[in-house]
Amino acid sequence: MSAAVDMRVRIGALELRNPVMTASGTFGSGREYADFIDLSRLGAVVTKGVSLEPWAGNDSPRIAETPSGMLNSIGLQNPGAEAFCAGDLAWLATQDVPVIVNLVGHSVEEYRSVAERLDTEPDIAAFELNISCPNVDAGGMAFGTSCPAAAEVVRAVRAATSKTLIVKLSPNVTDIAEIARAVEAEGADAVSLINTLLGMVIDTRTFKPALARGVGGLSGPAVRPVAVRMVWQVAHAVGVPVIGMGGVMCTNDAAEFMLAGATGVAVGTANFVDPAATVSIADGLERFCVDRGLGSVGDLVGAAWPERSA
Amino acid sequence: MTEAGHHPEVERAGLVANERVAEGVGLAVFDAPRTASAIRPGQFVHLRIAEGAEFILRRPFSVYRAPAGRLEILYQVVGRGTRALAQATPGAVMDLIGPLGHGWLVPEGTAHALVVAGGLGAAPMGMLVEELARRGVATTLAQGAPSEGRLLARELFEATCRRTEVATDDGSAGLCGFVTELTDGLIAADRPDIVYVCGPEPMQRIVAAQAAAAGVPCQVSLERLMACGVGACLSCVVSTVSGRKRACVDGPVFDAAEVVWDPCEDPEAGA
Repeated sequence: MSAAVDMRVRIGALELRNPVMTASGTFGSGREYADFIDLSRLGAVVTKGVSLEPWAGNDSPRIAETPSGMLNSIGLQNPGAEAFCAGDLAWLATQDVPVIVNLVGHSVEEYRSVAERLDTEPDIAAFELNISCPNVDAGGMAFGTSCPAAAEVVRAVRAATSKTLIVKLSPNVTDIAEIARAVEAEGADAVSLINTLLGMVIDTRTFKPALARGVGGLSGPAVRPVAVRMVWQVAHAVGVPVIGMGGVMCTNDAAEFMLAGATGVAVGTANFVDPAATVSIADGLERFCVDRGLGSVGDLVGAAWPERSA
Repeated sequence: MTEAGHHPEVERAGLVANERVAEGVGLAVFDAPRTASAIRPGQFVHLRIAEGAEFILRRPFSVYRAPAGRLEILYQVVGRGTRALAQATPGAVMDLIGPLGHGWLVPEGTAHALVVAGGLGAAPMGMLVEELARRGVATTLAQGAPSEGRLLARELFEATCRRTEVATDDGSAGLCGFVTELTDGLIAADRPDIVYVCGPEPMQRIVAAQAAAAGVPCQVSLERLMACGVGACLSCVVSTVSGRKRACVDGPVFDAAEVVWDPCEDPEAGA
């Protein structure tokens, strides 16, 4: 019997049983993956983006495979807050796993309204404020690429909810650390990064972009070094916990993000390759710690920083 | 007929045969007993053709037949994934998720069916014509292809269907023209109880309109680029009269009356 590793991590007011969660938009509500994994083995389920009213999303084609990654342009299709509560949330409430709801809006007022509406739902453990989706014309990334806009939307949502508030940041900026500091100053309890990188693929047979919307968000292992660098920068810049993501395919990738300074890790594109990827990585992280004689998974957080190993 | 009760699982499938059956078309046979025993006509599997970071996405394939613990997949080489599949040799092991999706429905009391297959549209029709034969449904098959050599699954169709009609672009077999020139007459003359269609989307749309005009129910199997295959990612949506639905779990087989074919007529387009 190996020594037990304390796998718990804390994000705001939430204590998660392990650092592994799902990346919004890649896991539906979790119901879609219940045939493959026991959701109670996850640190948290982060749902697909939820808006106050139903959104239809973008036209098809919505995806394209790229070297070591993929582009998506789903456009935050979702049935709206009421249908979400009656359907996916009611189902998730029967599962033994913290539910983090990703919030989207076209305007500050829409973000505030959806937060206010869902704040009354006791089955929601936390919100992840999505100010970084590259696939919508209004809102989304527009709020995550300027400090004043990011601060404004976080201020409005912070005032509308007392739940733990995570803000999901865009990598499509010059200095992600200054955005992180801006949202921390407005009361964010944690930041998550990175959302997808804006990209494009052109089909040389048709002479047209592969995606109906032209551009889309790049994810998968191709973006991982960019994501690790940004997690490193942001974890140095803010005092709140960082949730790292971007091309986490296996245990070592998750450990890499934690060594860079992430307290939690989200798994996205890997779910499409292996529907049990999240649980495999959670189990793998525990073994990773056992093999290195670590008593707590928290010992990994920022352990690659020069000042820590000095 | 329902797929309820068969939850999808990941199964390691051994490739036992992989042969070229027509220009650019292969037939791969996998040993996959769990999926083969559970799968229903028109459902699909999500295949991981190669490991490693170069192939991030699985590829969805209709299952042509599922005899004796094996899955037969008819595929056309269209890109990197199917090229890699064509190069795979017996002994290779790939993992697949299946069975997935809603397949063909055969309503109670169906006595006469018209099955329409255009090109690789024959791929999801093998299990269907076998099921129809098992139920004693008199089946007429209308098939189209560029030329005689690219008419797929001829032996099975001729053995299981009461009548088969073909059309080729070059006239090398049957009618010189499109399969839709056959189906109009077949629907009007034979008055089938139901029409099943798979093939290029413009062809499916025409046959669906012919069936609708004759008041005959019609089911179509639609193809979309797909990431998760289990309903989570919303990559594969189809425009329907009741909103955008997922080809992977709400389809791939849809009631044709439900499908909004013209992107310009999708009330949610450009939203």
